[in-house]
Amino acid sequence: MELFLNRISDGLSNGATYALIAMALVMIFKATTLINFAQGEFAMFGGFIALVLASERGLPMWIAVFGSMVITAVCAAGIERTLIRPFDPSDHLPLVIITLGLFLGINALAGIVWRFDPRAFPELFPSGNALTWNTATLSWYTVGTLSTIAVVAGGLTLLLNKTKIGLAFRAVSSNLESSELAGIRVGPTLQFGWAMAAAVGTLGVCVFVASPFRQLEPNVMVTGLIFAVSAAALGGLDSLGGAIVGGLAIGLVQSIGVPYLGIPNELSLLAAVAVLMLVLLFKPSGLFGTPQVERV
Amino acid sequence: MATTSPKFLFTEGTNQYRAYKIAGFALLTLLIVIVAFAYNDTGSITLFDNSYKLSITRVTKSISFMVAILGLQVVAGFTGQLSLGQGFFFGTGAYISAWLVADQNWAWFTSLLVVVPVCFVFGLVFGIPALRIKGLYLALVTLGLAAIFPSLIKLDVLLPYTGGAAGKQVDSDFIPPSWLPLDGVIDALHKLPIIGQYFGDGEGMSSKEEQRVWTFFLMVILALICFKLVSNLIKSRPGRAIRAIRDNETSAAVNGMSLSFHKTMSFGVASALGGVGGMIYVAELGIASEGDFTQLISILFVVGMVVGGVGTLSGAVVGGLVIAFIPDWASSTQNLPGIPERWLQGPTGGLILGVGLIVITFVLPGGVISFFRQVRGRFVRVLPQSPELVVAGVGASLQVDGGDDPSSPAGGDTSNSLTTADES
Repeated sequence: MELFLNRISDGLSNGATYALIAMALVMIFKATTLINFAQGEFAMFGGFIALVLASERGLPMWIAVFGSMVITAVCAAGIERTLIRPFDPSDHLPLVIITLGLFLGINALAGIVWRFDPRAFPELFPSGNALTWNTATLSWYTVGTLSTIAVVAGGLTLLLNKTKIGLAFRAVSSNLESSELAGIRVGPTLQFGWAMAAAVGTLGVCVFVASPFRQLEPNVMVTGLIFAVSAAALGGLDSLGGAIVGGLAIGLVQSIGVPYLGIPNELSLLAAVAVLMLVLLFKPSGLFGTPQVERV
Repeated sequence: MATTSPKFLFTEGTNQYRAYKIAGFALLTLLIVIVAFAYNDTGSITLFDNSYKLSITRVTKSISFMVAILGLQVVAGFTGQLSLGQGFFFGTGAYISAWLVADQNWAWFTSLLVVVPVCFVFGLVFGIPALRIKGLYLALVTLGLAAIFPSLIKLDVLLPYTGGAAGKQVDSDFIPPSWLPLDGVIDALHKLPIIGQYFGDGEGMSSKEEQRVWTFFLMVILALICFKLVSNLIKSRPGRAIRAIRDNETSAAVNGMSLSFHKTMSFGVASALGGVGGMIYVAELGIASEGDFTQLISILFVVGMVVGGVGTLSGAVVGGLVIAFIPDWASSTQNLPGIPERWLQGPTGGLILGVGLIVITFVLPGGVISFFRQVRGRFVRVLPQSPELVVAGVGASLQVDGGDDPSSPAGGDTSNSLTTADES
């Protein structure tokens, strides 16, 4: 029982990261039905920027993370403007190829600048346990990751529902052409989506590597992206709430399902892919997504 | 193309056109022979103290990439469904044939009898859930497939077959038949004036060198067969169906094509070709190790396809060469004037390919091949067979001369640019 509780706690804290990256994917998918395959690499780069800000500029850790979120958001907005906007948004192939180019390029750039040896990341949350029950523990890290999600979800809800740009973003996601006809400037609105996505993703990676058991290195998000993709697909690719549920569920599958089914640990990725395929087979719109209806 | 008139005009079905085709094949054969013998033991170019290797083994390796990219062209280039998991099938093919050859004493080429059907069926199994739905779902599923391949290889259950993390060693000697005068050819080439110095040392070939050349020839023939089969497939009825799906799914469906059937089949064909590529790869290298079949290789295949030209067969050739040579040359570049050494270490090849992918998408959306075609279009134009010739039948060979006159086939030019767009 205690082991079970510990695994739930582990799963939730892993799932929180997947949920944050999945939310970043969903923000871009909602508006343009594009999957940004470079999302994980944006986030990894953000993690390194936060580490550099903290260790070389001596900023307090949370300020460094916030600064890095702002920097990656600005960079992502620039990338959207220069590399994504020139293309027709309904033709996916060139856009996906651009994001793959970004994936390769950013990963290699991080490898050249920071090398591939893992680096310790300062802890963002107090160490030790918030709750202890026999041998079962609930660490502050788990509490911290879950509250990060709650804060991000709350912040995004406020942003999308109470601000003008949020309203514009919702309009564009619901119907790109109509909102353009209604006078919304679609380009800057999508740019805002990219910026938000990059910031949320960066926060996700920082929280992920802030665990005392993990370190930061350029390949940290290569498999993380796959967990995030299947989390997003499970929740429904166009639902932000779904991304959170999906992310936590994938985290739980990884930490509970995999050990109890006796599957070796390396295959937790296989579980994620299996979840993705099952979702596509039985409920392509995911748990909370809008079913795809096409007018012919 | 429309403004400048090309120097040479050929009409399909005439003798001149046939001569043009034959000249093209002769050039290709000559190129293959030159590559085989010139790169055999001279191996490197030195530039700014960096030595760049040009060995024939790497060319053979690039042939394996070409076949895998050819598969990607079928599913992504001609059907419009992007797959990020070609490396999974590449690896599957490599491991299956390595196991058959090393443990079951099969011959390399008979191992294809297992590799092709297995990869095809795998492609169908993974394609079915993803390809029923419109959108990028195949890319999502295959991205995951590519990522799990290395950990699948290291599974305890598969350890006796795959060799786990140590890799699967396999004997990859292709002994050339004794009647083949490889020694004679290279000595003859060596005696040529001026260029002869690039061909060998005038003392024949060692048995290792002969094996390399022989492997290269065998793999070239296998690759040519694959290219010919795909070229026929693209021109056939199912080939027109998948191109129709790529261009407009709705109208293809309205015209009675089953979208999911054709998409899944084309993904199956692509996967089978990936398997063939894997077999060539391991037959050349002599070892299959899981580090070679990561997610990275799948993305490199996409890079190769885009750089060569999406939806072209010859683009696969260019792409294979690019992804075989550029990462290697980038990592052997250790000093360049003006750039600090620090920036030349690490994964510079990945950076170059990533940036190159973006630049190509902007500057040359049709890939390197579209550039070649523009240049060729200035000199050569092929006109479709004129209607009179078709009506007159084969016997009216006297009218062949009419094909020389550029003004005779009316309306040929406009349809020409449309029909040749997809051919290799």
